[in-house]
Amino acid sequence: MSFWKSLFRKRPSDPQMNCELRFHIDELTDENIAAGMSPGEARRRAMLEFGGREQLKEELRDVYRIRLLDATVANLKSALRFIRKSPTFSSTVILTLALAIGANSAVFSAIDAILLRPLPFPAADQLMLVEQHNAKGTAALTRVAPVRLDDWNRLNSTFQSLTGYYTEDVSESTGALPEKVTRAWVYTRFFQVWGLAPALGREFSPEEETIQGPAAVLISDRFWRRRFNADPGVIAKTLRLDGHLYSIVGVMPATFLFPDRDTDLWSPLPPGVSYGRARENNWFIVTGRLQPGVTVAQAHADLATIQAQLARQFPKTDNLSISVEPLKETTIAGSRRSLWLLFGSVTLLLFIACTNIVALLVSRSAQRQHEISVRFSLGASRGALIAQLLTETFLLALLGSGLGLFLAAAASDIFRSLAAQLPRVEEIHLDARIVLYSLACSVVVTLLCGLVPAVRSTRRSLAGSLAQTSRSQVSARNPLQWLLVGIQVALAVTLLAGAGLLLRSFQELGRVTRGFDSSHILAFELSMNWGETGDMKKLRQFTDHVLETLRATPGVEAAAISVGVPGVAFKYQIELKPLEGRAETEPKLIAENRFVSASYFATLRIPLLAGEACRETDGPPTVVVNRAFADAYFSSANVIGHHVQSVEMGYTGAAEIVGISGDARESGLDQPPVPTAYWCAPVAQPGTYFLVRTSNAPMTMAETIRRQLRDIEPMRSAYDFAPLEQHFSDGLAENRLRTILLSFFAATALSLACVGLYGTLSYNVNVRQREVGLRLALGALRGQIVRQFVWQGLTVCLLGCVAGFALAAASSRVLAGLLYGVSPTDLPTLSGVILLVLLVAVAASLLPSIRASRVEPMQVLREG
Amino acid sequence: MAPIEKSDLLQGTLDMLILKIVALGPVHGYGISQRIRQISKEVLQVQQGSLYPALHRLEKRGWLEADWGASEKGRQAKFYKLSEKGRKQLASEESNWNRLAGAVANILQTEPAQ
Repeated sequence: MSFWKSLFRKRPSDPQMNCELRFHIDELTDENIAAGMSPGEARRRAMLEFGGREQLKEELRDVYRIRLLDATVANLKSALRFIRKSPTFSSTVILTLALAIGANSAVFSAIDAILLRPLPFPAADQLMLVEQHNAKGTAALTRVAPVRLDDWNRLNSTFQSLTGYYTEDVSESTGALPEKVTRAWVYTRFFQVWGLAPALGREFSPEEETIQGPAAVLISDRFWRRRFNADPGVIAKTLRLDGHLYSIVGVMPATFLFPDRDTDLWSPLPPGVSYGRARENNWFIVTGRLQPGVTVAQAHADLATIQAQLARQFPKTDNLSISVEPLKETTIAGSRRSLWLLFGSVTLLLFIACTNIVALLVSRSAQRQHEISVRFSLGASRGALIAQLLTETFLLALLGSGLGLFLAAAASDIFRSLAAQLPRVEEIHLDARIVLYSLACSVVVTLLCGLVPAVRSTRRSLAGSLAQTSRSQVSARNPLQWLLVGIQVALAVTLLAGAGLLLRSFQELGRVTRGFDSSHILAFELSMNWGETGDMKKLRQFTDHVLETLRATPGVEAAAISVGVPGVAFKYQIELKPLEGRAETEPKLIAENRFVSASYFATLRIPLLAGEACRETDGPPTVVVNRAFADAYFSSANVIGHHVQSVEMGYTGAAEIVGISGDARESGLDQPPVPTAYWCAPVAQPGTYFLVRTSNAPMTMAETIRRQLRDIEPMRSAYDFAPLEQHFSDGLAENRLRTILLSFFAATALSLACVGLYGTLSYNVNVRQREVGLRLALGALRGQIVRQFVWQGLTVCLLGCVAGFALAAASSRVLAGLLYGVSPTDLPTLSGVILLVLLVAVAASLLPSIRASRVEPMQVLREG
Repeated sequence: MAPIEKSDLLQGTLDMLILKIVALGPVHGYGISQRIRQISKEVLQVQQGSLYPALHRLEKRGWLEADWGASEKGRQAKFYKLSEKGRKQLASEESNWNRLAGAVANILQTEPAQ
């Protein structure tokens, strides 16, 4: 403590030092005068005798000056020497830290890019997502009609502007083969809202934003590089989209990945198109930019008032409520939990690594006791020694974190491909902030790991430590090191329990009965555009033709179409109104909706329990409902024959329920079957999936089908060929990322704990060699020695397990939301974890214990 | 007998002597050098170049406390006195020195074997 106090003690100022020295000289002068010299002579002799004053003052100042820079440089040099002298120790520490800090930096870079940083637009916190909701039910059809968007824009006072967009896939045919591109139709003011200008070229001119104006597109950076090899002369080139020519007027910057990271081009959608006037035609995803200084609550209140006004004007269509949410929030909200879970895991990993390193450092400084005592006797202060030991630890931490950053950068591609489903993944990169974070980690590690061993080993014991050797200790307890091993085991157990539960959950998902047969199904899309839906007859002919061709292909057993992929959540839950009337007390008919052809049930082998599959005649629309629907809403009556109408979809009339199908997990494999209504829609539209049941492996038919389709529809491109199973795994990608990473961390934690146990037990064995030798000489059996040491290791592990399980139980709430079909206290998993840990403990303890039992008693006793 | 050169006096020993002198009562730097000369009968003479750095070092370590006051002749001088920690340090160093001195004396007194 005196070191710290001395840091803050006021050093004497110059005048004070002068005063003190002058007093001494005056006294000497007086002495000389008393001895008989003249005053002048006396003073001269006194000053001579005193010596150089400035020199002396410099020396005095030296006493107080903390030669920080010199000391640091000297410390660093000796730290480097120390690292080179003990390569195994240093490399173990550096590798351990590289792994722990590297993983930490990688996860932090993801959290920084995804959760912490604002979206890559100017004043991005002003960007909002505006949705409309059905005021009555929980169903959410959140897109907005263009007319309503115009009304909002005109009447609001809190937004700078509101705009909308929707995307569709079209076929681009200027190349050798038609290629599918994703096009975003954007309303006016689109680029105004985002605030970004094109990187090359210009925005749309006002003429291009009218119906009769020239046809123009803006292309994305990705498309530009892929198709035109980043050729700057791309402006004014033309593209043919679904047969119409468009001229390229500009290229958007690489960071502009909205609305969707797959969007290749943007076209202006002129306001006032005929099919946009109906208030029920809800297509647009609406985004807006708030005026500076306006809060979300204010904007919400404003729009709600406006919508209430509109509801009075148009009671049939505008009885809706509004939600306004920051765009960043809606983009990242789903991934937040996973990311923080990952962050928690890597931090835990870092702590485990730290405990390992503390144990290593403690045993190392026990070996350096001699050196430290010599240093003390040569006059070093305790503070200086602690500073030096900390510098050594800091240098190791710095090297470890540097290596870790390098590893993280090298593995960033793997990480990004694992995490491809997360939003904003493209924005993850290692930059100065991440490096700073690594540095902070190093400092934390240094303090955590280095402080306790440094302080402990520099305890000023009496001169006896110079003469004392560790051999005079017969037994060493080392409670600190065993405590560290216990902590490591506890943390490893927690991670293992979490990983085990996630793995089991994954397994359960795989075994779920889907209600349909998804093997041997190939899914693909054909490029279409919304304009074609103007001629439904032609579209119906096209669909039938395609389905017939598919069915006629050898190797194909059945074909169907469906809007949305079966088994993947489609989020198209809307309310249905029964025409036969319903009592007020009965629950509303909320159902998931699918639009399928009649062959859907046969192709996917969903059993038909009653009635018939869709009628594909030209009569009124028909609906098939699943058993969950029938049971939930029509438990008493027979549901077949009832008519229902959707409340929001204005263009479908009342449909008759003609059949009941078995339950299929249409909204995702991890959800129970929800009430579903299958609308008979034998007409394909943009976004429709063609489903084909093949006799052999699905992808083997892809080329054949592609060629067949090119023969009958040369202008269209067929794309996105994938077995249905792959769509499920895509849906589970985030789950998979979590599980893989957590398992990786758990495995690392376990190996670290294993190494820690092995190291501590080895050290223990070394120190207790004399004791063991004594016991062997006195007649103990070797087996007893082995059993004793193994038991020591096992005891610590068992205690660690207990602590680990307590920790896991406490954090079970965190995991509960991520598990499927498994409870957080699942017995098989937990017992598996215990077994694994005990096995590892026994393995780690066996080697040192056997080494202990092989000690030659006579040799050890002679040395002692 | 020639006075012992300053280089012969170990730094640790000088610290101990200073502490002992200061233990006798608050004293300024000049007074300390005088006392050491007097009490050791002119055998030990401490130069200012060693004395003042030692004093300031001991003050920094917290073993001495300093105050400004008036000397006998009325001049301003810095007086040092022993702190509690300094007292303990002096006691421990004294006992170490005595042990060392006793051990050395024992060896020097050993007669050669007959």
